[in-house]
Amino acid sequence: MAAAGLRGPSSMNTLVNLCQKLTISGFSKTVIRSQPNITQVRCMSRVKRRHTVPPFWHPKVTRTLYPEEVTPENQAFVSEVISEKLSSPLRAEPWERGQWTKNSIRCGLIAKKIGIYPMWTKDGTRILTTLLQATDNHVINYIPPEDLAEKSFHPLKSSKLGALIVGTQSVDPREITKEYFTLFSAVGVPPKKKLTKFLITPNAKLAPGTPLYASHFQPGAHVDIAGITIDRGYQGVMKRWGFKGMPASHGVTKSHRRGGSIGSGREKSRVWPGQKMPGHMGRNRRVIRGLKVWRINTHYNVLWVTGPAVPGPTGAYVYLYDSILPAHQLHREQNPPPFPTLFQDEVNIDEELFDENLHNFSQPSISFAEK
Amino acid sequence: MAGTARQGVLCLARKFAGLELNSRRSAWTAVSKVFPYVSSTDHGGEKKKEVPHDFRVVYPEFIPDPKPEFRNRLREKLERKDMLNRRNIMEIPEFYVGSIMAVTVADFNASGKTNRFVGICIQRGGSGLRAWFILRNVIDHQGVEILYEMYSPLLQSVEVLRLEKRLDEELLYLRDALPEYSTFPLDMDVEPVLEGAPVPVNPIKVQLKPGPWHERWERKDLQGVLDLGLPERFYKRAKLHEKPWEKYDLMKEYRATIPEEEQADIFHEIAPHYPQLEASRRRIRRRRVQSARS
Repeated sequence: MAAAGLRGPSSMNTLVNLCQKLTISGFSKTVIRSQPNITQVRCMSRVKRRHTVPPFWHPKVTRTLYPEEVTPENQAFVSEVISEKLSSPLRAEPWERGQWTKNSIRCGLIAKKIGIYPMWTKDGTRILTTLLQATDNHVINYIPPEDLAEKSFHPLKSSKLGALIVGTQSVDPREITKEYFTLFSAVGVPPKKKLTKFLITPNAKLAPGTPLYASHFQPGAHVDIAGITIDRGYQGVMKRWGFKGMPASHGVTKSHRRGGSIGSGREKSRVWPGQKMPGHMGRNRRVIRGLKVWRINTHYNVLWVTGPAVPGPTGAYVYLYDSILPAHQLHREQNPPPFPTLFQDEVNIDEELFDENLHNFSQPSISFAEK
Repeated sequence: MAGTARQGVLCLARKFAGLELNSRRSAWTAVSKVFPYVSSTDHGGEKKKEVPHDFRVVYPEFIPDPKPEFRNRLREKLERKDMLNRRNIMEIPEFYVGSIMAVTVADFNASGKTNRFVGICIQRGGSGLRAWFILRNVIDHQGVEILYEMYSPLLQSVEVLRLEKRLDEELLYLRDALPEYSTFPLDMDVEPVLEGAPVPVNPIKVQLKPGPWHERWERKDLQGVLDLGLPERFYKRAKLHEKPWEKYDLMKEYRATIPEEEQADIFHEIAPHYPQLEASRRRIRRRRVQSARS
């Protein structure tokens, strides 16, 4: 399954190229046009939209473990070396920080959906919030626009946007292949379980090894969240498409949950493309746009965002972007976010950040009586 | 803003979702059946505070939803932190299904902007910040039920007027009982409680109205109702629907609870706040004793 280019000794360059071919975030085409073109995504059953095997250019991540007969002392020594080597800070000098302009596109975050619970706004309205934890996000690589254009899987004539490779969830280097590890060893961060590519304007670039925190977003900001929806397996038309089914009685036999007719006669006497039928449901990439960030915990790097509708089950990885909805873009132009990111180690930041309209449980109860 | 209206709607919704609630409730009853955890060992060198046995009964909403696909330790921890923060602002006293309670809630549309309701707690459920209870009373010959969310910041105060339990785990059959069993004066006084005494169980048996009923009560194995007065065939059908083997179903109980060690960890985590909770609990009881003496 591993790519053919991985075998050579000078696989580093190849791998960087491969890394550039990682799945491009969903709205790449729209941002390249730099004109938000937001269309509602519906399932089109005529489109084959699911691959059950990973793309061939993905490097193999995990290796086969076998007994290596290492003594406990040596094991301990290796662990010590790993912790020493990978806990080191950024090796290179930090890059010059870009200035915010109106059309800048920042990097995003990879987060894990950890649950849903209610919060209350200051006017007493109950809202459900989804908790997203952004654990040890690190910048792994920066791809300048010219490289991105010519080395993409589908080469472009030109690109105004560069890309940042960001990874999350550190893993033990002993469990992964050497080829995959070389992606990270040059940067000096522990290898990551999950990688993604965020398209950015070149002024938002960050040096490889820079940590990203939940405070990259501010309370009150709006985000677009992409993720893989819950896999529901092979489902009938009632669950998959919301068909009504047929009555439970009145002479109906054996077709209480069936779809009924799938076509008519004469010229139309065939099944038309797009006919809603039973089939696989879920495990699609979906983007849900314009969710408000209500609250941030900077200690655990947790974000509270609106609603229970973030794609995926509890424990799924999701990708957070600055919202591209026009109203939120306009708001961002007037209130610039921390750019290129908030360097949390350099500033004093509270542990809990609340949106101004959100009730904090440490505050007194809400009352409507005039004072 | 829309506090009461929303609660009313919720109340209706609860009525229709009765079946689901029952299965949920059985989870809670199973929780109280688990043998209490006694901390005997040292955790991480320092001696942790002894967790009282009745913690799981007094504060059942601190035990998270046992559904494995929804569990996440960090989320539960953050949720508990929020719950304790809210409890520091407003005391939520110890109460049980069957206790008579008074709840004051901020209501934008009420005169004086607050609304006080007195009633008997007929059901309690939910875990974490979603915890809720339902109060029932009969006002102007009309049965009224309100579902309150325990951690809603609209709640101004929660008082327990009479602390007691009933013979059943939930009292939904009061909807089909004669109205005098769920009628309580709105100006009811706080009744005295003896310090250190166990929570009394009220052995009252209520008389149900003739049918039709909301549910087939003869199938529910109710302790707190008088003879239902049904023909023999109803009891025969109820006998067929009995599931006496379920109390021996260990897997069912395992799925309805979280492991004892985890419960102990949770209680140890909130143990530093426990003296605070305990103090507020004692204060309320003492206040009641004093008001009874005077």
